Amino acid sequence: MTAARVLVVIPAHDEAESLPHTLDEVRERAPGVTVLVVDDGSGDRTADVARAASIPVVRHAFNLGVGGALQTGFRFAIAGGYDVAVQLDADGQHDPADLAAVVAPVAAGSLDVAIGSRYLRPTGYHAPLTRRLGMRLFSALTRLMIGQPIADTTSGFRAYGRRVMEVCQHDLPQDFPDAPLLIALSRRGFRIGEVPVHMRERRAGRSFYTFSRSLYYPYKNLLASLMAMLQRP
Amino acid sequence: MHFLSRTQAIFAFGAVVMVLVVLELVRRRRLSEEYALLWVLSSVAMAALGFSTPLLQAITRSLGILYESSTAFAFGVTFGIVMLLYLSIRLSRLGREHHALVRELALLGHEVERLRAHPPDSRGNG
Repeated sequence: MTAARVLVVIPAHDEAESLPHTLDEVRERAPGVTVLVVDDGSGDRTADVARAASIPVVRHAFNLGVGGALQTGFRFAIAGGYDVAVQLDADGQHDPADLAAVVAPVAAGSLDVAIGSRYLRPTGYHAPLTRRLGMRLFSALTRLMIGQPIADTTSGFRAYGRRVMEVCQHDLPQDFPDAPLLIALSRRGFRIGEVPVHMRERRAGRSFYTFSRSLYYPYKNLLASLMAMLQRP
Repeated sequence: MHFLSRTQAIFAFGAVVMVLVVLELVRRRRLSEEYALLWVLSSVAMAALGFSTPLLQAITRSLGILYESSTAFAFGVTFGIVMLLYLSIRLSRLGREHHALVRELALLGHEVERLRAHPPDSRGNG
């Protein structure tokens, strides 16, 4: 059996400050993997930083959100014949040393989506109270809807298999591809599982979850989760 | 013979003016025929209610509304809500198409950059 071809997709929006360190870390801790930076309509030098590091960059004309960036990564991966695409945050929260662990079950064919989870073992990660409550709510909702416990529904450290990419390249929540995506994929029969990973605080830049988004997020994800449950698989 | 009340007259002539404005916008290509259809149909309905007192009275009685003017306003508000919903649906679809175009453009841009950096001839296989 030949080794799976893996593409690391890094969605980046105004991450010029933290991206160089993330790219260096990927090279150092996961040598040999191919990386793609999806510059999601940045107003800073994000694309230049990636090019300076000789990393391929795909640039959105304006910001589409994490889901939109991921879809572009999937299209790129499918066209390039990759078997697995791994979503990795540009802000340094994810440790590339965990890449192999996240990729392994998807590459082996035992899972279609592997989620790098910060809650399967104590990792010292501390989220603010409101975010912790939101995570618990969507974790419980996902469990109720798909009958499977997913501890970390909001993790942006995930590996996706080829079949999932083929489905998601046409249909993926653009702004928050979290619980609704997992519910939709589970209902389509894809196997989802979690892998323990270590997560850190972001190195630089602004968090995606601004005040207005933190109000919009629960509403949008709740509605989208219910709709994902009601839609035909 | 029924004479139009002042409210009815304003309503009816307003609807006629609306139809003329919509048709003029279509003629100038500032409004597509698809959207114009909804406006024209609603304006014709409004004009019919405005000009025909028996029709307005019959609808008012059958809906259990006290005043004819309320019926006319109810029709107007209903049309406004339906139009807003329709436009929201269209906007959602346009947003999805817009995003798909941005993604496609980004991938094509990358392909152009790659071909410029490594033209097929320079690899000896072109």
